[in-house]
Amino acid sequence: MTRLARTSVWPGVALAGGVLVACLLVSLAFGPASLSLGEVWHFVTTGPVHGDLPNAIFWQIRLPRVLVACLVGAELAVAGVILQDLFLNPLTDPYVTGVSSGAALGATIGIVLHLSNLPWMAVLALIGGFLTLGVVWMAARRRGRIDIFVLLLAGVTISYLASALVTVLMIRANQDMYAIVYWLMGSFSGRGWPDVEIALVAVPFMIAPLFFAKEMDILLQGEKRALELGVEVERTKRVLLVTAGVLTAIAVSVSGIIGFVGLVVPHIVRLLVGPAHRSLLPVSLLLGASMMGIADLLSRTVIAPNEIPVGVVTTFVGAPLFVYLLRRGRKG
Amino acid sequence: MALVTLRDVDFAYDERPALRRISFDLQEGDFVGIVGPNGSGKSTLIDLIDGLQHPGVGEVLIGGVPTRKIRRRQMAREVALVPQHFTLDFDLSVREVVEMGAYCRGKDADACADAELTLARLGARELAGRRFTELSGGEKQLVVLAQALMQKAKLLLLDEPASALDVSHQLRLFDLLKELNSEGLSVLCILHDLNLAIHYFDKLLVLSEGEVAAYGPPDEVLRPEIVEAVYGVRAYLHKHAGRTYLTFSPRLRPERRGRVHVVCGGGTGAGLMRELVDAGYDVSAGVLNALDTDEETGRELGLSMAVEAPFSPVGDEADAENRELMRAADIVMVTAVPVSHGNARNIEAVLETVAAGTPVWAVRGVLDGDFTGVTAELEPTGVALFADEAGMLAALRERASVPTT
Repeated sequence: MTRLARTSVWPGVALAGGVLVACLLVSLAFGPASLSLGEVWHFVTTGPVHGDLPNAIFWQIRLPRVLVACLVGAELAVAGVILQDLFLNPLTDPYVTGVSSGAALGATIGIVLHLSNLPWMAVLALIGGFLTLGVVWMAARRRGRIDIFVLLLAGVTISYLASALVTVLMIRANQDMYAIVYWLMGSFSGRGWPDVEIALVAVPFMIAPLFFAKEMDILLQGEKRALELGVEVERTKRVLLVTAGVLTAIAVSVSGIIGFVGLVVPHIVRLLVGPAHRSLLPVSLLLGASMMGIADLLSRTVIAPNEIPVGVVTTFVGAPLFVYLLRRGRKG
Repeated sequence: MALVTLRDVDFAYDERPALRRISFDLQEGDFVGIVGPNGSGKSTLIDLIDGLQHPGVGEVLIGGVPTRKIRRRQMAREVALVPQHFTLDFDLSVREVVEMGAYCRGKDADACADAELTLARLGARELAGRRFTELSGGEKQLVVLAQALMQKAKLLLLDEPASALDVSHQLRLFDLLKELNSEGLSVLCILHDLNLAIHYFDKLLVLSEGEVAAYGPPDEVLRPEIVEAVYGVRAYLHKHAGRTYLTFSPRLRPERRGRVHVVCGGGTGAGLMRELVDAGYDVSAGVLNALDTDEETGRELGLSMAVEAPFSPVGDEADAENRELMRAADIVMVTAVPVSHGNARNIEAVLETVAAGTPVWAVRGVLDGDFTGVTAELEPTGVALFADEAGMLAALRERASVPTT
């Protein structure tokens, strides 16, 4: 198949940027109360106005929700790229490090303790995520090196442990069961500006990997070859693993556990622009945001006023698209 | 200052020692091959020089600086390595893969233009636009070499670069390395083919069980006795068309099976002598003229021989020596050697040996090449005649399998 942006980064990034802008506009326009693109433009330019209901819907409900969805999508996609390429394992998604399960445990504790009002839930989820990352990290350290294979195994093990604890808590706190299950499924329902603020903290962590694009390319040949070619492998791994962990923890803390985006977006983008990270990272970021934006739009509109869990939508949208691209890619 | 210095280096993987008391220098412009059996520590040695492993005892110095103190990027500017195995399952173009080699050079290098030039240098410019995953093994090897050359390091380490290549690509690769070396690149290359090692390298480092068995010019270090000690095989040195070749046979010290004396000449006995030696027999031959093909083969095989001057008839001294060798033999074999007045004494000696009770076997062809009539006596005196050498060897195997009393 022909590829976009084989030699230059910019055509691919510009195209993905255009897709994201389109997705943003569509997501902002549609909803229980649909707006025309002109109205969207009008609200954006006038800013929030008190006492105007459509304006309030746009500024207080729809815009923050769309922004959180897009930010989470971008975070998961970038974390997915980093982890798949560090583990050299195509089945890796941002949740294998155990960070998400730790975050889920933190959030569950918050629900059980009735700290469900923000920002406590998010803070507890972040604490849970970072603690898990720390434990997994310690387990994988050997003589000052991070053993990627051990890290993967420790991450999966800790994931199971945290999930078991969540289950115990669910059984103990049966009146909160619904809230816990709903949180675990992941949703952007009711997300507001405080969530946007938390999700925005991740922006520097989305940008940072771009400075390691060359190192990440070289690491595709394995750690030993990367050392031979002059990469400070351990330092690079440390930076990238922490970055992926922070991105995952932040994403999970505001949205719960939404599957498929972190797994599939990197693969789709590899098929489109190739595995070189100077294109793969920015395009994944933009398309991850677009995909999550659209998934959230569908989750809140298809059976409105009810919502389909957004994780279900990401899978329904992503799976056929991925299979189609895989088949096309094979024909080459 | 030496480019690379190893001083009393010991290295172990956990508890398993891999290298012991390694000391040697590599000068700028050196073209050195590393040979040694599997598991003798060759790859470990290369990893130590590239600072991928650090010695437990002793020091590895690059330009006088211990490898421990050199950062990876700086190291990649000093030393480039072509690994034995290279895996890249991602769909990158050859150009992208080659450009990765310039990583250690930072932003100053105009990597894009260089990648094509480097590939062109290796005669592989047309690969630049291809996808790496679609290349053949030999093409991948060239691309990885190009990647390593992009580092523009002073020293190139190669770990069995020829193992995936056919013979023409092997020769092309070593010619290329030689050329790069003449332009100032120092080369240290692991290889298994001792004949390629002899022909291409200025110096060879022979490793054996983690220690340096020999270090020096090829004809000094690849002497049969060293090869035998290091590899545990029998090695023979041949000179052909001004070049030296080694050949090998698997058994170094087989059980003694008995002594065979071969009467031959003119190349009729070379194959038989080698087969007998490989089968574990103590072999002698004679009388042969010096510089005769059979005499040269016998010398390579290290046989005891009765030898006469070139192109001279068998004299008294050689004849006496020959009869002594025959007496010591358990069996005497006669090849289809042409018999003339010059070597008729050999057949006379054979006839006497039969009379003395030693079994004598002969290839029937010897009767046809007789210009003297002396072989007519062979069959009547009890010499067993065989259609060819193979029949004779088969009979010998059969005889050996039956216990003699």
